[in-house]
Amino acid sequence: MTTPTPENIRLFHEPRDVLRMTVNDEYSVVQVEPRWAAPLSHPGQLLGLMNSKGEEVMLLPKVASLNVQNQEVIQRELDRRYLTSTVHKIVSAKVEFGATYWTVITERGQRDFVVQSLQENAQWLGERHLVFVDIDHNRFEVPDLDKLDPQSRKFIDSIL
Amino acid sequence: MPSKDFDKLRDFLPLSLRRNAFAQGVLCLLPVMKSEPLQPKESEPNSTGALIRLVADLLENGDYGQRVLEVDSDNVRILEMNGALSATVPIAEIHNARNEPVVGGGRLEITTKNGEKLALISYTHTIAARFSEAARGIEQLAKGEELLVNLKPQKTHCEKCKRLLPEVDGVCPACVDRGKTLLRIARFMLPYKYWAIALASLAFLTTVLNLVPPILQGRLIDEVLQKHTNLPLLFQLILIWVAIALTSSLINITRDRIVAKLAGSIAADLRATVYRAIEFLQLTYFDKKQVGAIASRVTTDTDRVWGFLVEGVPYFLLNGLMLIGVAAFLFWTNWFLALCILAPIPVIITIAVRFWKPMTQMFYKVGQKWARFYIHLNESLNGIRVVKAFAKEDSEFDKFTRRNMELREAGVKADSRWFTIFGGMIFFSSLGTIICWLVGGAMVVRKELTLGEFYRIHAYLALIYGPIQWFAAVNNWFSRAMAGADRIFEIIDMEKEAYLHDNGLKLDIKGEVTFEDVRFGYDKSNPVLRDINFVAKPGEMIGLVGKSGAGKSTTINLIARFYEPDSGSIKIDGVDYREIELQHLRRQIGIVLQEPFLFNGTVAENIAYGKSDATMEEIVEAARAANAHNFIMMKPDGYDQMVGERGAKLSGGERQRVSIARAILHDPRILILDEATSSVDVETEKQIQEAIGRLVAGRTTFAIAHRLSTLRNADRLIVLDRGKIVEVGTHEELMEKKGVFHKLVETQSEIQEIIGFDLGQAEAAK
Repeated sequence: MTTPTPENIRLFHEPRDVLRMTVNDEYSVVQVEPRWAAPLSHPGQLLGLMNSKGEEVMLLPKVASLNVQNQEVIQRELDRRYLTSTVHKIVSAKVEFGATYWTVITERGQRDFVVQSLQENAQWLGERHLVFVDIDHNRFEVPDLDKLDPQSRKFIDSIL
Repeated sequence: MPSKDFDKLRDFLPLSLRRNAFAQGVLCLLPVMKSEPLQPKESEPNSTGALIRLVADLLENGDYGQRVLEVDSDNVRILEMNGALSATVPIAEIHNARNEPVVGGGRLEITTKNGEKLALISYTHTIAARFSEAARGIEQLAKGEELLVNLKPQKTHCEKCKRLLPEVDGVCPACVDRGKTLLRIARFMLPYKYWAIALASLAFLTTVLNLVPPILQGRLIDEVLQKHTNLPLLFQLILIWVAIALTSSLINITRDRIVAKLAGSIAADLRATVYRAIEFLQLTYFDKKQVGAIASRVTTDTDRVWGFLVEGVPYFLLNGLMLIGVAAFLFWTNWFLALCILAPIPVIITIAVRFWKPMTQMFYKVGQKWARFYIHLNESLNGIRVVKAFAKEDSEFDKFTRRNMELREAGVKADSRWFTIFGGMIFFSSLGTIICWLVGGAMVVRKELTLGEFYRIHAYLALIYGPIQWFAAVNNWFSRAMAGADRIFEIIDMEKEAYLHDNGLKLDIKGEVTFEDVRFGYDKSNPVLRDINFVAKPGEMIGLVGKSGAGKSTTINLIARFYEPDSGSIKIDGVDYREIELQHLRRQIGIVLQEPFLFNGTVAENIAYGKSDATMEEIVEAARAANAHNFIMMKPDGYDQMVGERGAKLSGGERQRVSIARAILHDPRILILDEATSSVDVETEKQIQEAIGRLVAGRTTFAIAHRLSTLRNADRLIVLDRGKIVEVGTHEELMEKKGVFHKLVETQSEIQEIIGFDLGQAEAAK
């Protein structure tokens, strides 16, 4: 069997909403799930394609190594699987009654959320990389504090 | 869609939906089209025609927004907020429906009878559990069953202030009735009401006595010092002063002793109440919270409340009386001067109120930095062997330095700000004194005021500015105490296990265990057990088998009623076990865990944990049956040997045998063995297996074992895969069947062969 490579695979939805992969038109993996190996520390890199048993079929170094058509298909699938929001701006943040209340603007729009126990739920993934996990386990990522506007940074700086 | 637009739409009548227009095919996917707006309110089944109506919080493109899932007896529909229909799936064509967990949320997936998988609608974690319940409802409808789902609307925002709630269906901390909370915490003072009254009386006396010395000093100045005569009056006034100082000291000592008594007693009562409440909380609560966070409710929150009760309330009284008393004296002495010297007070109050909140936030941040610092310190010291083994001292020191610097910066910033604000307050306080000298001095020169009166006013100044600063801070103190009290009452009021005041059956069970259509998930949006049906007869040994995550441990958690099924029922001797008194039920269930937990105490105390009235002979007998007696006797103190925290002074195999002895003495009708022999050496395992052989005799036993060969003696094996039973039978039957169990055994044998091969290679290499 030919080993799958970014060049010899074709990704498509068949049947609807089921991602399928054929390798060199030789064989198909009928149900494929894309999974980032390290979505927070290495975004956009190392994408695993897993079969229905949860076994890795192949590991792509970058989505960009696929052709445009495959990239579009895989992006659609990734958009469905990863609902973490990236914070672009912090509108307000305040500590009250032992919890922190945040209003943020993300790539998905504006959202209010509450974080309890910042020690556990504000996770530092680097010196300037932060992820908030709210009371419902929704995640809000700040990939780089330095890329936020001064007011947003001030909010974070005043609390964390 | 912005919420204000959404709110506008609420006023419209519900759209009469095109029930069958799109139901011609298996699925009709439609471009979003303009249509009448629909009623966006979520509803309970049957309230608006639709059986299920849920509003999702993500649009098709992943943006935040609202879409509606609507289910009736014929179709599942997805509607956009403008009323346009995006998708319809006829119920008759649905094979199954499920919530597919994704990172940060979930999506509703439907598999049709012709194998198509449809990802219908996505949502965040906030509402995933409700969509999981909806998926279950869709499956019930597809199977032609009665719709039995719980879709009670969630409360995420406070109805009064619209603030986001810190917990779904929780209490709004901003709108909580503080009066009511105060009354509830005041009840903790009831058993000590006479002491509290004494405390208040002494506070009043202290205030009165504090007002006297300046009067005496004023008289001394006016009637003795300025006149250069009347020594008898000097002695007389000094004598009164000494008497007052002595009385005042005695009162203060008595008051502080009462405070100590009240503080200790109320703190103990509060801690006991909270601990007792925590003991009976459902395990789901412990799954969500870290032990440290729970413990802080017993320590920090109770501290805040008693601190307020014991120190806040009396000082509120004391300082309040002091303020009124001193102000009255000042105005009585000279109203004009009083007005002048009190002029800076509004400024001081404004500063305190204005800066208190930012200051609190800064100290909160310092707390965060301390926590990070502690975590690093704790980790690096606990893992010092690993640090040394990998020669990572330098990188660990770098991390330490970063945390240390963060802490320093936050601390310096907060303290600098605090001392600046405090300095400002001190300045305005000293302005009062300066004004006193300026205006009062001029009045003395003009003989409008005697020197004694001036001195008295000056002395009272010190008594007025202290309470003022205290009152400026008390609001924050009060808020923190009320927040602490709310957290305490949240636990006290939380739904408990049906332990206490349970009018359940006191059934002496024989041991028949029946699972009927059991479904359960720790996260209700993601069931880990589905459609579980089996009957274990009394005395039967059932082996639970499956890959990691198949649902074995969850099954035994349900049997022990640590959790209850989300749907379906578990029956003991034909009775739903929710009808049996919980404590009575658990007394008849024994558990031996992979990592047995022993309490810090003697070996004998641990063996007798489930039967505190056991005689020493019974304890020894149980230990013998558990193959533990010999090793216990070899300990210096035998059965009185302390086992240490979590049994740390015993080896893994010893702990396990003590826990088996504990289970034997407990004499349960239903026994649960969870990987009881997986972490011990071969010789110890043999001894434990023997002990287990004696333990299981005559009891209904559920066993999980990593080594499948150890379940050979089980009467039946239940094979679980992804939360469902896939095979049931004896070891031989399942091996012959060559199904999932056979494959598991084969895989395990292959691994053992590989290990054996490697060992052989190693031996050969030697």
